[in-house]
Amino acid sequence: MQELLKIVHLIDDQSPGGVTRYLEFIARHPGMAAMARHEILPVGRTRAARAGIDADVIVSHLTLSWRGIPGLMGLRALYAGTPLIHVEHSYCERFAAARVTRRRRFHALLRCGYALFDRVVAVSAQQGAWLARTGCVPEGRLSVIPPCVALDPMASLPAPDSAIRRIGAIGRLDAQKGFDLLIPAFRALPFPDVRLEIFGNGPQRAALEALAGTDQRITFHGHVAPETALARCDAVVMPSRWEPFGLVATEALAGGRPLLVSGADGLAGHAADGALQVPEFTEPRWTRALNDLVTRPVRIRRLARETAEARTLTGWMDLLEGLRAT
Amino acid sequence: MPYASIIVPAYNVAATLRDTLDSLCAQTFTDLEVIVVDDGSFDDTAALASGYPDTRVRVVRQANRGLAGARNTGIAAARGEVIGFCDADDLWRPAKLAAHVRHLAERPCVGISFSGSELISADGTPLGLAQSPRLTGITAAHIFRRNPIGNGSSPVIRRAALDSIAWQPNGPGTRSWWFDETFRQSEDIECWLRFALTTDWEIEGVPGALTRYRIVGGGLSAATYKQLAAWERMVDKLTPLVPGFFARHAGGARAYQYRYLARRAVSSGDGALAIRHLRAGFAASARPAWEEPVKTATTCAGAALLALAGPDILRRIMELRSGRNTARSA
Repeated sequence: MQELLKIVHLIDDQSPGGVTRYLEFIARHPGMAAMARHEILPVGRTRAARAGIDADVIVSHLTLSWRGIPGLMGLRALYAGTPLIHVEHSYCERFAAARVTRRRRFHALLRCGYALFDRVVAVSAQQGAWLARTGCVPEGRLSVIPPCVALDPMASLPAPDSAIRRIGAIGRLDAQKGFDLLIPAFRALPFPDVRLEIFGNGPQRAALEALAGTDQRITFHGHVAPETALARCDAVVMPSRWEPFGLVATEALAGGRPLLVSGADGLAGHAADGALQVPEFTEPRWTRALNDLVTRPVRIRRLARETAEARTLTGWMDLLEGLRAT
Repeated sequence: MPYASIIVPAYNVAATLRDTLDSLCAQTFTDLEVIVVDDGSFDDTAALASGYPDTRVRVVRQANRGLAGARNTGIAAARGEVIGFCDADDLWRPAKLAAHVRHLAERPCVGISFSGSELISADGTPLGLAQSPRLTGITAAHIFRRNPIGNGSSPVIRRAALDSIAWQPNGPGTRSWWFDETFRQSEDIECWLRFALTTDWEIEGVPGALTRYRIVGGGLSAATYKQLAAWERMVDKLTPLVPGFFARHAGGARAYQYRYLARRAVSSGDGALAIRHLRAGFAASARPAWEEPVKTATTCAGAALLALAGPDILRRIMELRSGRNTARSA
């Protein structure tokens, strides 16, 4: 019998965000465990070159930066014979468009970084298409594997009330998430009994509270566990400016919550599972979409936990098979 | 399938359409289709277009929806991998399409390929003036301030790049919009700026004045306020996408916008209005004064002279300068 692979996952971010929870899924899901033994190794952002890693495959979940490149080169040199995989959690087209002025320098960073890996994993088809067409990842080295988290708490949530009264916005309070557009769009709604529940913390909190003003319908809950947050909403909204994948979307759909998304990057992909895309990133459009959500509620078919998990599992299985074959 | 589609939005353009189609059908790159979108014309435009002898020309007719709506209908009907636009009073130099096709093939990161333009008068004679914009290293800020793409007959765009900005305002499954049909002015700049702020495609030019852009005189001063309103609506609409970008660049871009309107006011002989625009521009930002001192100074001088000495003196100077003040090079 073939001995089980050992995979070491490098992470540099242990905040309670998507990457951390994805890694928990990788470490704990029986399907992932059947594929390999997984070990999670926190490293400094610029210190990927950790000696003495005992692994058949090393997977980087790090954020690429120029300062991190020497560390990645060291990693490559130390483990010349070990397959190295990078999962791109951070960057996507809308990020580049909104945040990067020197695009060629940015593409050069991605090309340099990815060149040190045997495979690059995109977290959504949209992100993958962008990486391929910009030439950042050479042909044949790109895989698309959507991430997943433990979905059983969402799957066991009771279906939401069909009359939507509690709209949830879940995520880090950062410009990325677009809550600064959502709040004024929500405030224009005329319904006194419809509430906006905001879950998360972050640098934009004070500014967002100022935008909410005296509107008693808006509540900031701070960070709470995703299933707790979902249990308190009848629908979820994701007006993100950029979003490589958008795990909250998977969770909301697995919890049977109607979902509005901006359609940025990976969010467009959730339409296939029932997310509704708001066609323009403007306040009036979002007010209209929220209004429709409240007055003409749609029942969505819950995204089956197994379906979402299988996408991640088969993605990794295919990738590891491919590595073994080469 | 033709490799290139050229969309010709046409609204009551019987006088110039034939010349435009001749110039498109004379392109040295021949694997093309021309889609004339008759946007509810009530002159002979439709008959002229459908009677045009070249079989590569197709006609699509619709009730009037404006330039953006006509272009969108054209894009929806287009089959090419690259899509060009030529307004029905402008002309393309014979080598234009070939230059853009080569450029897009050589530079896979480029989504919009454009060129400079030669300016021609209403009767088609060259004015001796050109739009010679910056061609490379173009950022969203350049688009916002100076719009190097220049005019609506200049760009040739990769289909895949265009589709990355498409949306369905009337719900899934309905005809897409690429240009925003709620704009009757500033529809070009709205589209290019949205493209720059939401996609990672490059916008780059090829050398040469490959478009012949017709300057039609006249135009009422009142129209400049409508134009300004449309421009401000574009800023309002796009600001949520990247608020920090607009916080940094809207002042400078607004100053250029006012300078452009001041130049139009000068050429229509309204010195007082030109000065009002210039003052508003300087209140927004002094950027045009140090970035383009000569052009800004001549605009101020023109406006001052006009206000002090009346339209006659300026008309004589304008004749000498062969209409430079009517030309928009921004």
